[in-house]
Order: sequence, then C-alpha cells, then structure tokens
Amino acid sequence: MILDRLDVAPADLERQTGWELKPEGLCKDDRCFPLPADAGADGRLDVTVVADRLGMPLVHDERYGVWALGPESGDHVLTSAELPPIVLRDVDGRPFDLASLRGEKVLIAAWASW
Amino acid sequence: MALPVWRQLRTELHPRGLEIVTVALDLEVDAARSWIERSGAEHPQLVDTAHVLDEVLGIVNVPTALWVDEDGTIVRPPHTAAVERYDFSKLKAPEGLPDDLDAHIRDMLEQVKRIPRFDADHYVEALRDWVERGSNSEYALTPDEVVRRSAPRSRAVAEAAAEFDLGQYLHHAGHVDDARAHFRAAHRLQPENWTYKRNAWELVSPGIQGPTEFYDGDWLADIKAAGPENYYASPGF
Repeated sequence: MILDRLDVAPADLERQTGWELKPEGLCKDDRCFPLPADAGADGRLDVTVVADRLGMPLVHDERYGVWALGPESGDHVLTSAELPPIVLRDVDGRPFDLASLRGEKVLIAAWASW
Repeated sequence: MALPVWRQLRTELHPRGLEIVTVALDLEVDAARSWIERSGAEHPQLVDTAHVLDEVLGIVNVPTALWVDEDGTIVRPPHTAAVERYDFSKLKAPEGLPDDLDAHIRDMLEQVKRIPRFDADHYVEALRDWVERGSNSEYALTPDEVVRRSAPRSRAVAEAAAEFDLGQYLHHAGHVDDARAHFRAAHRLQPENWTYKRNAWELVSPGIQGPTEFYDGDWLADIKAAGPENYYASPGF
C-alpha cells in the first residue's frame, strides 16, 4: 500500500490490506491485534504503530516522500483459503473485480509478455 | 505464450461451469496489449501492472495458476501451470548474430533445456476432473491444505513486496530511473521471485534480459546461480 503520509484512515487501510479496525484492534479473518488505546483517537491510524503491531515492513523513498506498507510476515501468504479481494484492470483500463465471478469455478492464470 | 491454450480450454470448459481469467504480470500495459488483442479470447484478460498477485497470492514466476470454487474458496493455491507442449530439445540460436550475443544466447538455451517440464496432459485431465466433480475431485484440496501449500512469507519476502510496490509506483509516476533502486532491493530481498527480476530486466535489456549497469543480476547469471532445475516448482499433482 502506497502512502504519502504516515497516518491512514481505517477505511483506506481496510480496503487496501484487508485489516479492519474493530474495538478489539485490527482484525483479518480470525486474527486480531490490539492497538494502543489512543491509536485511532483522531480518526486516523499511525502507520508506524500498525506496521509494528502487524509485523509489516514500511519502506520509504526519501526523494519523493512516499512510503510502501508491505504485507504481514511470519506465516504463509494465505492465512485462509478465501480468495483475497483483488481488483485488476483490462488493457483499456476498465476495473475487474475477481469477486464478481462468484457462482462459477475460476482458474486464474498468470502469464507475462516478457 | 500460453494464451491460445487457455482460450482453447475455456471454449471446452466454460459450458461446464469454468471461467478462466488470464492476468499479465506486466509493468507496461502496452507490452501485453498485442498478445491480448490477438488472442481472440472471450474470457476476462487483465493486466497486473503492480504485480499485486505476487504480494497477495505468493506468485513468483509464470506460468502460474490457481483454482477457485463457486464460493470464492481457493482449492489449489498458486502452482506452476504447465499447459503448453514444447519441444525445447530442438531450440537453436538464430543465425547471423554477432559472436558475443550468439554465445550468450547459446548459453541461455542450454539453461532453458535444463528447466524441468511438467506433464501438460495430466494437468488438463486434473482440471477437467475438478470442473466435473468439484469438491469430490481428488485435485480439490481442503482449506487447511491450501493454506499449508501457499508460499511462506518471511520478513524479507514481505519487504520485497513493499520495495517492488514503491518501485512500480515511481515507475508509473514517470520516475523510471529512480524506481530501479527499489526493484534492485526487491531482487536482493526475494531472489527466488522471477517476476520481480525478469520484468525489471526486460525494461533495460529487452529480449535477452542480459547484464546491464542497472541491476546486479541478469537472467543467465541468476538461473545458473539458482540452478535451472529450481526455476519452476513442481505443480504438486
């Protein structure tokens, strides 16, 4: 997730990483990590606290003033068999939500021109 | 390029309830465009210009596929999807190349010939079986098995994803030169990820992904270091 400041609205965090702010902390699937009591006091979350609590890398490009918050680590990429939310675009830039294919079996095939 | 094979399989299996989605892991949409437009496919054809699938699904090379059932539950996590039938033993370098390029390409082809090949017919049979029998198919894994077989994500792998994300962001913002430091970091952190490496190399050395001043590795040096036998993981059937 790309950031141009080190705090984030909980809704943006959830949309991009799947981690949802609940009274018990940040939660995804059946896992919750508690946050310090004042972490979301002003309606935004301190990204350094989130990165620390969830074991996410936070890398920085000083020149352009942007950060990338990486995924949580220490386990497998999949922590549940549910397909994570994935929205990609076609060659004309139209977004396509893979969740729109519920009701059919789907084979997702990654390839590349290179 | 496997697109014609996916198109063919989709024609056969769509009436039986299978949709196919092909995703090009290409930083540049235009690099994938002509392949996509020429494929004639009727299924969704998408381009992942940020390599999101690497981060959220653990994809590290292509071709890779995963199977998802009607409820959105993954029943086969990302695996090498061998659907093309190639005879690599007869590969030859083109005639008339300058000597140094000729030697480099010959060396590349020797490595390509040592990359493991998997049984395309068996893969397609397994796919047909799953489409027909759903969760009763021996090829549909339980949720626990899907999680267990998905790629491990160490701190370094997670950091590689973040570095590649910064790189792709800067690349798409027009800061192509400054993106490379982040691509280099991703390569160092997750050397087994060929999509991070090959896509970056291709942009500076199209076609052969050879050595350049921009990156520490190149296709030939890296596959020799990793061993061509490790280039593709077994699909696990």
